[in-house]
Parts: sequence; structure tokens; C-alpha cells
Amino acid sequence: MRHRGVLPGFGPALGFSLAYLCLIVLIPLSATFIKAAGLSWQAFWETTTTPRVLASYRLTFGASLIAALVNAFFGLVVAWVLVRYRFPGKRMVDALVDLPFALPTAVAGITLASLYAPNGWLGSLLAPYGIKVAYTPLGIVVALIFIGLPFVVRTVEPVLQELEQELEEAAASLGASRWQTFYRVLLPAVMPALITGFTMAFARAIGEYGSVIFIAGNMPMVSEITPVLIVGRLEQYDYAGATAIAVVMMVISFILLLVINLFQAWRAHRELRGSV
Amino acid sequence: MATIAAAIVADSPRRVTEEGPWVRGLLLTLALGFMGLFLWLPVSLVFTEALRKGVEFYLAAITEPDALTAIRLTLLASAIAVPLNLIFGLAAAWAIARFDFPGKGLLITLIDLPFAISPVIAGLIYVLMFGAQGWFGSWLAGHDIKIIFAVPGIVLATIFVTFPFVARELIPLMQAQGKDEEEAAILLGAGGWQMFWRVTLPNIRWGLLYGVILCTARGLGEFGAVSVVSGHIRGLTNTLPLHVEILYNEYNGVAAFACASLLTLLALVMLAAKTFVQWRIDHPGNRL
Amino acid sequence: MSIEIHSLWKRFGNFTALAGIDLEVPAGQLVALLGPSGCGKTTLLRIIAGLETADSGSILFHGEDATRRHARERGVGFVFQHYALFQHMSVFENVAFGLRVMSRKIRPKEEEIRQRVFSLLEMVQLDWLAERYPSQLSGGQRQRIALARALAVQPKVLLLDEPFGALDTQVRKELRSWLRRLHDELHVTSVLVTHDQEEALEVADRIVVMNKGRIEQIGSPDEVYDNPATPFVYQFLGNVNRFQGYAVQGWAEFGGLRQPVLEHGGDTAIEVLGYARPHEIDVKRDDQQGLVATVAHVRTLGPITRIELVFEGGRIQMELTRERYQADPLQVGETVRIRPRRLQVFPAEQAAETATGAAG
Repeated sequence: MRHRGVLPGFGPALGFSLAYLCLIVLIPLSATFIKAAGLSWQAFWETTTTPRVLASYRLTFGASLIAALVNAFFGLVVAWVLVRYRFPGKRMVDALVDLPFALPTAVAGITLASLYAPNGWLGSLLAPYGIKVAYTPLGIVVALIFIGLPFVVRTVEPVLQELEQELEEAAASLGASRWQTFYRVLLPAVMPALITGFTMAFARAIGEYGSVIFIAGNMPMVSEITPVLIVGRLEQYDYAGATAIAVVMMVISFILLLVINLFQAWRAHRELRGSV
Repeated sequence: MATIAAAIVADSPRRVTEEGPWVRGLLLTLALGFMGLFLWLPVSLVFTEALRKGVEFYLAAITEPDALTAIRLTLLASAIAVPLNLIFGLAAAWAIARFDFPGKGLLITLIDLPFAISPVIAGLIYVLMFGAQGWFGSWLAGHDIKIIFAVPGIVLATIFVTFPFVARELIPLMQAQGKDEEEAAILLGAGGWQMFWRVTLPNIRWGLLYGVILCTARGLGEFGAVSVVSGHIRGLTNTLPLHVEILYNEYNGVAAFACASLLTLLALVMLAAKTFVQWRIDHPGNRL
Repeated sequence: MSIEIHSLWKRFGNFTALAGIDLEVPAGQLVALLGPSGCGKTTLLRIIAGLETADSGSILFHGEDATRRHARERGVGFVFQHYALFQHMSVFENVAFGLRVMSRKIRPKEEEIRQRVFSLLEMVQLDWLAERYPSQLSGGQRQRIALARALAVQPKVLLLDEPFGALDTQVRKELRSWLRRLHDELHVTSVLVTHDQEEALEVADRIVVMNKGRIEQIGSPDEVYDNPATPFVYQFLGNVNRFQGYAVQGWAEFGGLRQPVLEHGGDTAIEVLGYARPHEIDVKRDDQQGLVATVAHVRTLGPITRIELVFEGGRIQMELTRERYQADPLQVGETVRIRPRRLQVFPAEQAAETATGAAG
């Protein structure tokens, strides 16, 4: 027996954790890959690369990317305002940031659809200018901005809070303008957190279903996201097809997350080496 | 002399680490405008729409039998999923934050996995396991057990999507706290459970509660995963979010928003609780 | 209760924390484990407590093998560097903890717990803080509460892991002498880990100097200070001057200094290092023997005067009492002869082995 110090319970705790993880996550998840492996390569390729499926990948990843970028920008602004400025109702605004997280996605979906429908509060304002949001890809972006909003704010906020004021004072005393200070001192310091927040918002957006389906219109080739396609296959009892598309989607998002994480690690490594 | 003093005073309020009033104003407008457009407006719309046909219609919509069953099922799924994930979170955090073992980094990554997976796929994996054509499909059918298109499937899907929350809160918290206090308890003669109840649990209670709130909020509102495994059988396997969808698709908008307002209220309660708990975590010195 | 440790080894991966420790702590003594960070002193303490397990070797409490005994049954009191007070319990409950978790058969009655806790709090002079919480106390108060908590279960051995390490200098000095007085009253066998030589010299009955997982020297404070057994101990305890030279045919030479070294009578010259404390150096104006040096700085610090001199081989520091210096002051720039009253000589190789561990 290996000794692990004096604290009890290592065996049961790790044993239970692993068993639970396997039962709930790993074994069911492996089912998709095994099911997909049951398809011939050709069948797999044909299922996952029809024009309609390809269009859904483009839409899903493209809209998620745009939404995550918008959230990165506004998230940084919101975090900055919440950390640095004092204004009435700040505490409530701060609490409200997490609303998209707590609000069921279906509620968000029907609400956004109603807001941006041609006769909705905002849709009717935009209609005279020929801007259509609901039932278009733009609507999907709006829904994805909504659900991704908390991620950037919540990852950037603590970093901004812990930034020492001395850093900015030093920059100012060395003659930097406020903008230069922001661009050269503050932004690099919050960059890792910003990228993390962006990644989380992006990952969440790729898989999102509930808030999108109501506002998207789900028109094949135009406004049909990949999860909708998967559900469609399932409703036709085409389990193999649904699984194949799901596997492609998971693989693409894992690769994207991996690339972003490697980039982060590379940045951190470079910074570490630079400081020696 | 007086003019110089006045000039200094007029100049002094702005510190070197502050932006000018124009930039400040712009940033505040941007931030609050964005929040208003994306958060405040939707919440107002939910309640406006819900009450459009008056309070009576509202009450009728949320007390009709199908709605009540949906509410019950939603609560049931969370009532099962949250305690299970709570125990898992405690066990995983205890193993990870208090001991060293090979593969720890991998385990932490795997715990986060459900975050990176689309809810739709979360539903799909259980269909592949327990559905009619799934791995255990024929065995389950033979023993007359229904998981998919039934309550157990909904519970499983809810467990999956809320899986990481408690563990994710506890692991960094317990790592930061270190194991000194627990070692002190053992050296003073405490047994394992005595140590857990008297030292470990009181130290992590707020973080634990925080994780539970996040877990519950997500569990109550889950849509995609539950939608795939539920089969949408009215009055039987509909959770409240699914019920909202059905009403909305039947062009019964007001009833849909009435039920949605319930979920929104729950979400706001969760936010309030979360804010309170966060405040407790940030101000550990204040005692009730 | 005495503690005996026999050939204890402990590795963490590739790092050897303890390399064959043999140590005896007589009953009732206060022993300090002294050494730089990473020397294994804390690991040794945690192994004595049962918080870690050694790879090999044995520990005897009062002559009985306790190597495999669980920490809970060892009857040791442990004081952590960062106090490890239970944050959510009042001071009273912290001290009472060890009594409350006893099995029902031996647990004292509530009234007795109260009495014992209060007498302990009186002993650490903090009975007026009983209802406070740890976050409301100063660092020094927290550490005294931690000590009271450790003593509540009447341990046979008290182990202290850098107990004053996180405190201000002033508080640290007060607590040090307070701990010494407390030990004189209680006479509980104690092991104190510290990297602060002053602390060890002031508090301990015996000092164990450790470096790189090994014991360099064991002895009373006077012994280790006056007769360091190795170059490492010389450099780690107190200030010291180092002279480079060589030894041949029973004599060591350092510039103008000669000293017999009986250990090296051979004909081949080897490099040696000579060590002398600043207060062990004499200065003469008209002597023909000794090193020629020039006075570079003179500074009086309270009762002592510190003089820095420059010679061919580097710099020398010497210390005189203020009175002695004032009886015959030196001028900056003056050339003098210096001669250590006592010079300990070690082969240069031996010093090189341990030099990396000592900061000087």
C-alpha cells in the first residue's frame, strides 16, 4: 500500500468519482464514437458532407465565432465599467450579468424571437430599414450573444480587480497616455482571461440549441444550425446519421478548444521565459 | 495667487489612472446600453407578454394540469440530479485537492467535458445507450423498463448537463484552503467523519452552496438534452421548459410566456441567492 | 517522553528529502531543527507527527516503536506555521476541539471541558478572547491559541513547525522568550523547526543543524556556535570570515598566517579553508606576523564596533566591543596586521560539498 499522508478517504472518494464519471459521461459518450464506427467510411462521409450539413457547420461555427467576438468586446467594456466605475444600481447590474446563465434557454429563445419578430418591440423598429433579425442568421447571432454574455465578463472581472493600480500609475509617470496605458499595459494583462472567456462563450455557442431554434426559423441551407439537424435526424429515427454528424461536430469543437488552449499555454510559456 | 489655486483645484479631480469624462460616459453608455438591450428588455418582455390577457388568464395558464405536471417533473429531475452531483463534487474535490495521484490533470479536464458538449448530443448519447435501438434497448424492453421517453431519461440528461458545477466550485476553493486545518483536526484525535462534519464542511459551505445554486439553475432550465430524451408526451414527460416550447409552437403565446415567467422568476431567485452567497464568500468575517 | 529516530529515509520523486537521519530527543528537552529551506527539517517533523510516512527507518516514542502508529494515536501536539485554526469556530471551540472529538467513554464532561479550556487560555494569557473568531485576532494571538489548542489534549510531544515564521520581528522575539518560559514550566518534550539561527540559539536546549537531508551537527547552542563541526555549520550560524590557503606537512598557510594542522601531515599540498568569527580576530599595529590589511570601514552599532578590512585575499569583518575599540581607535586607510585568535581549518573539498546550501 502506498502512503498518502494522514487524511482519510482517498480511495472511496477517487473510486466514487471515477465510477460516476464513467457511468454518466465517459461510457455514454463513447457510445457515439462506437456507433459512428459502425458506419462504413463512405456512408460516414456521405452523411456528414452533404451540402445541407456543410451549410449547417458553416452557420454554427461562423455565428458562434461572431457572437463570441462581440461578447469579447462588450464583455470587456462591461467588466471594466463594473470594476472601475461607481453608479447607482451597480450591484443589480452586476447580478443581472448572470441572467443568461440562469434563464432557461427556451425562455430566452421565445423572448428573443418575440422581441425581434417583424411585429415585436425591436423588430418593428428595425423593419422600416429593411433589417430582418428573426428567422435569419442574424437572429442566431443575437441569441448566441445573449447566452455567451456572462462568460467574458465573469472571467475578465476578477483579473481587472486584482490589477494593481500601481501598474497604471507607473505607466502614467513614464509619460504614457491613458490610451497607451490601456493598450500596452492593461490589455496584455487581461488578455489570457479575455481569451479564456472568449473560448468558453464560443464553445457554449457551438452547442447551443434551445435559445436558437425559436429565433432561427431553421430553414435548411440558410438558418439551420447543426444541433437542429441532429435532432431532425433523431426524429426520423436515423440514429446513425445523427451520431455521425454529432461526432464530426464534437471533433471540430474539441480541436478548436485544443488549439486555443495550446495557444494560451504557448503565450504563458513565452511570458515566463521572457521574464527570466 | 488665488487664480493659481483655483486652476489647480479645477485640474486636480482627475487622477492619472482615470479616463476623461467623455470616455467614461461613452463606456458607461456602451455597457449599460448593451446590458439593457440584451438583458433588461427580454426580462421585461416576458412579464409584459405573460400578463397581456390579465391576471386570471395568467393564473389559469400556470395551474392547468399539464403545466402542474411539468412543474412537478422539472422539480423532481433537479431534486435527484443536484444531490447526486453534490456528492460527486465533494468526492472529486476531496480526492483532487487533498491528494496527489497520477492523471489528476486529466481527471480535472474530464470533469469539465459536459460543458463542451452540446446539450443535444448529451441527449443523443443516452438515446444510443438506452433507446429502443440502443445498447441496452432490447434488454430494457424485455424487462419492461423505460428510460428514454420517460422520467429516468430526463433525470439522466439533467445529471449530465449539471455534472461539473459543484466540483468546479469546490476544487479551486479547497486547493486554496490547503489541508492544514484537516491535519490539525486529525492530530487532535478527530475521526474521518468528525473531521468532515466539523472542519471540512463548515469551511466549504458557501462554495458548496454556490455550486448547488448554479447546478439547480441549470437543471431547472435545461432544454436541449431533455428535449431529445423526453418524447414530449404531454402531462407525462414534459418539463416546464418543454411545456413552454409546445405552447409557443401552438401559437398560445400568452400561456407560453406565463409559464416562462415562472422560470424567469426562479432564475431571478437563483441570481439573488447567488449574489448573496458570493457576498458571503467575499466577506468571510461577517457572521450571521 | 523521549523520541528516537533511526536511519530515516524519505524521497519525493527524484528529490531526497531525508537521507538517513539518526536523532535522539531526550524527554523534557526542547530541540530545534535548524537549516535552510529545503533541508528536510519540516519533512522530518511531519514524519514524527505521522502526517507523512518515511520510506524506511523507524521512530520510537519512549522506547516503543511508533513508526506505523496513526497520527491520531501518537499523542503529539502540532503547531502549524500558518496556525491552521478552525476559521468558523470561536477561540474557545478551537481549544475545546480535541476534547470534544474524544470517544464518549473518555470525553470529559462539559463543565470540565470549560475549565480546562479556560485554564489553557489563561496560560497563554488570552482568556479574554474566548468568544472571538480567529479572523479577529492578530498573528501572535492566533499562534498562542494554536499552541493552547495543541496542549489541550495533553500531548506527550509538542511539535512546532516554524511557529513564528509568519510574524513580525518584534512579536517573534516576545513569543520566543515566552515559549521558552512556557517550556520551563511544562517540560513537555518539544521539537521546533526553524530557519532562524537566532531563534534556535535563544530557545532550544539542543540544536540539530540540517542540510540537504542530513544532520550536520547536534549540540547545545554554545557547542554549535563555538565549535561548528563542518564548514556548513560555520556559514549557517552567525557571521564568519573565510580564508583561502593550502596545507602541507602538518601546516596550513594563509598568506602571512601559519597554523599547525595535524590531520594533514603529507607532502602534497592541498587547498584548505580557514574560518574565524568576527569577534575572534585581533588587530595589531606593530606585529610582524599576521595578514597585512587596510581598514576600509568602521561602524559602531550599539555596544559593538564593526570594522571592515581589505587584504590581498578579499575582505575581513571583525567586531570589537565599543570600549575596546575606543581605547585604541583605528583610522580608515590605516594599514595593520590581523590575526585570528582561533582559526578552524577544513579541506576545501569538504567546504565545496556543502557550500551550495549555505547562503553565507
